[in-house]
Amino acid sequence: MDALRLLTPEITITIFAFAIISLDIAWNDENKSRRILPWLAFAGGLATLLMIFYIWPHVDQYNYTAATDAGREVPMLAVDRMSLFFKMIAVLTVILVGLSAGEYVEKHTPFRGEFYGLMLLAGLSIMLLVSSTNLIMIYLALEFLSITSYILTGFLRRDARSIEAALKYFLYGALASGVMLYGFSLLYGATGSVDLATIAGSLETTQAGLVVAAVILMLAGFGFKIALVPFHQWSPDAYEGAPTPITAFLSVGPKAAGLAVLIRVMVVALPAFDVNWTPILSLVAIFTMSVGNLVALWQTNMKRMLAYSSIAQAGYMLVGLAAWSAAPPSAVAYLGGVDAIMLFLLAYMFTNLGVFAIAIILENQMGTSEIADYAGLIRRSPYLSVALLIFFLSLVGIPPTSGFIGKLFVFGAAVNQGLYVLALFGVFNSVISVAYYFGVLRNVFFEKGSDESPIRVGVAMNTVVTITVVMTLLIALYGQPFIQLAADSAQILAANF
Amino acid sequence: MIESIPLSYYLLLSATLFTIGAAGVLIRRNTIIILMCVEMMMNAVNLTFIAFSRFLDSATGQVFVFMIMAVAAVEVAIGLALLVELNRHKDAVDINQFNSLKG
Amino acid sequence: MPIDYLPILIMLLVAIVMAVVSLAMPHMLGPKIFNKAKQETIESGKLNYGDARRRVPVQYYMVAMLFILFDVEVLFLYPYAVLFWDLKWFGLVQAGIFVLLLVESYVYVWKKGVLNWE
Repeated sequence: MDALRLLTPEITITIFAFAIISLDIAWNDENKSRRILPWLAFAGGLATLLMIFYIWPHVDQYNYTAATDAGREVPMLAVDRMSLFFKMIAVLTVILVGLSAGEYVEKHTPFRGEFYGLMLLAGLSIMLLVSSTNLIMIYLALEFLSITSYILTGFLRRDARSIEAALKYFLYGALASGVMLYGFSLLYGATGSVDLATIAGSLETTQAGLVVAAVILMLAGFGFKIALVPFHQWSPDAYEGAPTPITAFLSVGPKAAGLAVLIRVMVVALPAFDVNWTPILSLVAIFTMSVGNLVALWQTNMKRMLAYSSIAQAGYMLVGLAAWSAAPPSAVAYLGGVDAIMLFLLAYMFTNLGVFAIAIILENQMGTSEIADYAGLIRRSPYLSVALLIFFLSLVGIPPTSGFIGKLFVFGAAVNQGLYVLALFGVFNSVISVAYYFGVLRNVFFEKGSDESPIRVGVAMNTVVTITVVMTLLIALYGQPFIQLAADSAQILAANF
Repeated sequence: MIESIPLSYYLLLSATLFTIGAAGVLIRRNTIIILMCVEMMMNAVNLTFIAFSRFLDSATGQVFVFMIMAVAAVEVAIGLALLVELNRHKDAVDINQFNSLKG
Repeated sequence: MPIDYLPILIMLLVAIVMAVVSLAMPHMLGPKIFNKAKQETIESGKLNYGDARRRVPVQYYMVAMLFILFDVEVLFLYPYAVLFWDLKWFGLVQAGIFVLLLVESYVYVWKKGVLNWE
């Protein structure tokens, strides 16, 4: 029963997801009670969040040895502090996206039950993925996430752009997962196991060539989910064509999940393997930041610009991982850099979901997401304009916003390990990013728009924008609890069941 | 007695299959053929798993193959569904014609 | 050793010879009469019409796809059947949940009218 108690968040979200889908089948289209489906999804998200907080104090009591003593030979999941932190991110993302999706979904698609059911299932897949300690489980959870994302991306069946985005996402994704699987099979062949901890144990005695090939193929699969350069080509198209709430989800959920599984594989399976990862990770981080920021400069569509901007943000997060890998191998339990990634991710989640909430509001009102149409927003809605200013300050990393704290920790971790060049590239890139964020703000504050009618903001949207603004400022102004949370969460177990 | 075929033969075959599949995904323009190439990559992976499973004498590889087969079926169903849906809009399966998103 | 595969080679040769002979013998021995009925693609008593490259209604494809999905999912019940007695009640509950989810998806497909043939 103890094992099941650790899985209560997953069980809760599954029950709610299937309840929503079942009710959606049971009630026909005219039934008025279908209106409660979004709120049921919201309740499901909140219940899951409560469950995560409920088991938070208990995770220390379980560990790998207890699980093996109980006779479980193939551990699949690890419920540790790190996975709980990422689960919290996933559920918060689902809740905030679900709240901001209401009007958009109402307007664009008749399939509401499926939308919210799939959103919860996508959240479930992230929760499973961040806990996976076994190549089989990683593969299944990753595919689960991919498949729900494909469907959600192509959700607007009547819009050719949505379907096209989903097909492109699907084709890149299928290629990436095939490549990753080939890596898995080679790793299995080299070590004879699919369990990360067992792989770590047998890596010392195996031939390096096969393992290097396996690991590089594997990283391609994870890099695809995080949209690291050079595996990022799908993301601008998928972001632009997808329904805007789903774009918001894609920019946070899969990125967090891919990052978590990358961290877990690096920390649990590969430390015994004598390859210096720092140059590889640094190079990928530099390319990801630079390509994301430079291409974002030329974008005229808000969703596309945010796609490139979130590629760049993933690059900043990778700086933290490079810093972790640069620590001397003697420090076995050292996880500095990982806590910086978590703090950055927390800040990034609130900020980015806030930006997308504004993009959704404006798209509901104006029907487009071209940056040119944002002109004169200050006269139409001062509140949204100021919120957008705060979010963009945070994405650039200017105090007093959460993005500043996140970048401070990530670049600080790099400097701590002597990666001055990497940190310098990060700061330099932040300066470049000022250009395109402020291009939007110039439109918002100083240009004159053709339409002067005020923007109408619904209650749910208002809540989302307010929560994200408050959190963006709070993490910066009253950061100690959040920094402590991230530091506490940087604790990884090999496996516990 | 019949001796077994060496492991390297299997690995070479699966590597060849995988390369053909991957090259097909990258080169071919017909979306249906791309889907078939993806399936080919999956089956190359399956072959590697089965071969390793046999030679390492561990059943885990076969469990993995079960999972891959099930997921591959789901994946191809999604891919074909998307293609059918897009075909209603564009009347084409050539990937070069799916170009309304660009930048 | 390659020599160990000699029986397979012999088997292969026998198969080829059988096929070639059974095709060649009637060709050489039998009388050759051609008429319209013999030129048909399929000679089965039913008349042919149209050609093979016709558009097929999308329902065929839907049903085929659903068949593939449900067919493959049942794959997981075979290992369970082998271990049925070892897994006791816990396994039964797990398999029950699995089948329940399959049934739910079946009901979904049904309710959405995919199986209606119109």
